[in-house]
Amino acid sequence: MRIACVFVPQLALQAVLRRTPEARGGPVAVLEAGTNKAKRVARVTEISPEARRAGVRAGMTGAQAAAVSAGLRLLTVTAADREAASAALADVGYAFAAAIERGDADRIFFDSEDLARLYPAGETAIAQAVQAVAARVGLGVRVAIAASKGVARLATRAHELALIPTAAGPARAALASIPVELLAEGEPDLAAAFRRWGLRAAGDVAALPVDAIGLRLGPAGARAGRLARGIDDEPFVPRLPDDALEEAIELDYPVAELEPFSFVLRGLIDRALTRLRERSLACAGLTVRLELDPRGVDVRAVPIAAPTGDAATLLQLARLDLARRPPAAPIVGVRLLALPARVRATQLDILRPAGPAPDRLAATIARLAALVGPDNVGAPTVEDTWREEAVAVRTYEPARPDERSAPLPAWRGEADGRRPAGEGNGAANETGAGEPRLAIRRRRPPEEIEMLLNRQGPAAFRGRETTARVLIAAGPYRLSGEWWREGEHFSREYWDVHASDGAVYRVHQNKRDGRWYLDGYYD
Amino acid sequence: MSSRPALDPALLSHLISAQRLEDRRGRRGSGIATLDRLLGGGWPRASLCELIGRRSSGRTAILYAALARAIAAGEAAALVDVGGGLDPRRAFAAGIALRRLLWVRCAADVAAKAADLVLGAGGFDLIALDLGDERPRLPAAGWIRFKHGAEKQGTTVLVAAPARAAGSCAAAVVQLGPGAPRFVADGAPLFDGLQAEATKGRGAHEHGPESEEARCASLAFSCRS
Repeated sequence: MRIACVFVPQLALQAVLRRTPEARGGPVAVLEAGTNKAKRVARVTEISPEARRAGVRAGMTGAQAAAVSAGLRLLTVTAADREAASAALADVGYAFAAAIERGDADRIFFDSEDLARLYPAGETAIAQAVQAVAARVGLGVRVAIAASKGVARLATRAHELALIPTAAGPARAALASIPVELLAEGEPDLAAAFRRWGLRAAGDVAALPVDAIGLRLGPAGARAGRLARGIDDEPFVPRLPDDALEEAIELDYPVAELEPFSFVLRGLIDRALTRLRERSLACAGLTVRLELDPRGVDVRAVPIAAPTGDAATLLQLARLDLARRPPAAPIVGVRLLALPARVRATQLDILRPAGPAPDRLAATIARLAALVGPDNVGAPTVEDTWREEAVAVRTYEPARPDERSAPLPAWRGEADGRRPAGEGNGAANETGAGEPRLAIRRRRPPEEIEMLLNRQGPAAFRGRETTARVLIAAGPYRLSGEWWREGEHFSREYWDVHASDGAVYRVHQNKRDGRWYLDGYYD
Repeated sequence: MSSRPALDPALLSHLISAQRLEDRRGRRGSGIATLDRLLGGGWPRASLCELIGRRSSGRTAILYAALARAIAAGEAAALVDVGGGLDPRRAFAAGIALRRLLWVRCAADVAAKAADLVLGAGGFDLIALDLGDERPRLPAAGWIRFKHGAEKQGTTVLVAAPARAAGSCAAAVVQLGPGAPRFVADGAPLFDGLQAEATKGRGAHEHGPESEEARCASLAFSCRS
């Protein structure tokens, strides 16, 4: 097995830079306050190379760092920043493997052996591809590929890109130059002991017998000795990705207006979509959790008509939702939960219409939903009721190529005087008499009108847009139902009336209150 | 000199001239035989078409027939419906497979934008823009955009409106006269259907003289369910 280890050096700094990408390339330092009382003064913990060149060092206070470097940006890192960066790192792994192991917040492991078919150029190409994907989600990473987790982890401490051979001898040689401080990282006593013994690098440690090191320095020492020889028995425990993907931000000050908040939301959506895109996924659902000032949360699910990877569309949908139901208090934090979904792929057929491309269709439906509202886009469907005006909308799905009937050649039957195009598979629209069916253009809801009656029935009516005499009235057609539902019983008398403006209208009288309504017109 | 061998009459009846075949391929069936004859084979593909008519002229029925025809042929079709006047029961009775119809109900001010989005998605063979009673208020540039979009995507954009607006951008125009309703007067009157005169207007692709009779057709619509 070949295990790839992906490590994010200075996770806090990179997490902050994902949130504030405009600070990239300049001197930046991360300020963090200590947890105990004595260390409560915020101090610099991580610094960018530019800040380091300007003389900023870890442990300085903010004032000291600012005095050293005039253009220094001092940024604070939040838990949300760290979580988002760590989750983005995991997505880098899921872009290459179905399951990964998340070691610490700044490190992941995945099995890279199967990638050899995809990257015939070798493991260098794999490592470079991982770095390129990580760069797209805003992370600079170190990558090492080795036969075991521990060896790969050790290699990332020392190198930007390292390929450690599987065989013990070459692996030992590849690790030989790594300083003992990195070999015993996190265990300063062990590193100090190696130094006392005059050992400078992993190669020196590897030259000593492991059991002798273990006898003198305990299990940690023995493990370091094995690692220096390229031997590690730490198990690899991968797991599948989470169902949803999170991006979050804590704001420096409360935001009460939609317009500035949109900029914050746009950044989160962009980051979430970039991560989804790396896994060839789209966003099928969006939940926005707003943290309000001074307390309270507002959780809202933004309806998405179809999976999409279009940031503008998602932002517009979220904005529409926020505009429709503004939060009760200013916002101090946002957590975005994006539900991943695969965009449907289709196999085209050379002899049949191609139909819309699934990804573009999904994006278009989402855009349409943002334009006209999600309840107004989809496939119409007949509701289970006798109310004539009832209609519902369901998810639209174009016919799959295997469902499509082959279109008849348009010229068949024309030459011998039979019906031309329209015959066969499209003939359902014609009645037995060869006449197309009339439709009704409905008013929803039916428009209340004033009706003047004579002994035969309707004589004239006046509505919002139409005032006309009734020339011919056909009816009444009685319709009642839903008496079994509390408060929804209806009882109506329908009439088809030919009005003096030339149109034939469908009107009805509600028999429960005697009011008249215009349902629409035949067309 | 030997005479040309006579073709089998059964085969002969299926022959069509190459020129006519090309013309037929550029048309889509309207779903109504009379209208197909009037239009010379149907609505032109990859172009903007106009269907003009007032209330109860049969305009919506023609629109539904075209949608039903396209969906039955396995094509993708969309209806941008100003005011949301679609009656799903009538549409189903007209032959539309409802689950295969992309229905966008919207207000008049965003109808053109919605139709443009559907057109831009590509892959739709027929987009019906039903403006209902709203007069089209799109600037000339908007119609030109629709025309070019239809040509690029290979889509027929069929605009149904009470008045003509697309001008020279429309490749085919059908003007419907006021419908004459039919009532069965055996005892109490019963609405049976209506009759409307359809006139082919001069579209951008129409050239050459044509007799008045060839430009007019009578369409009958049934109300029976």
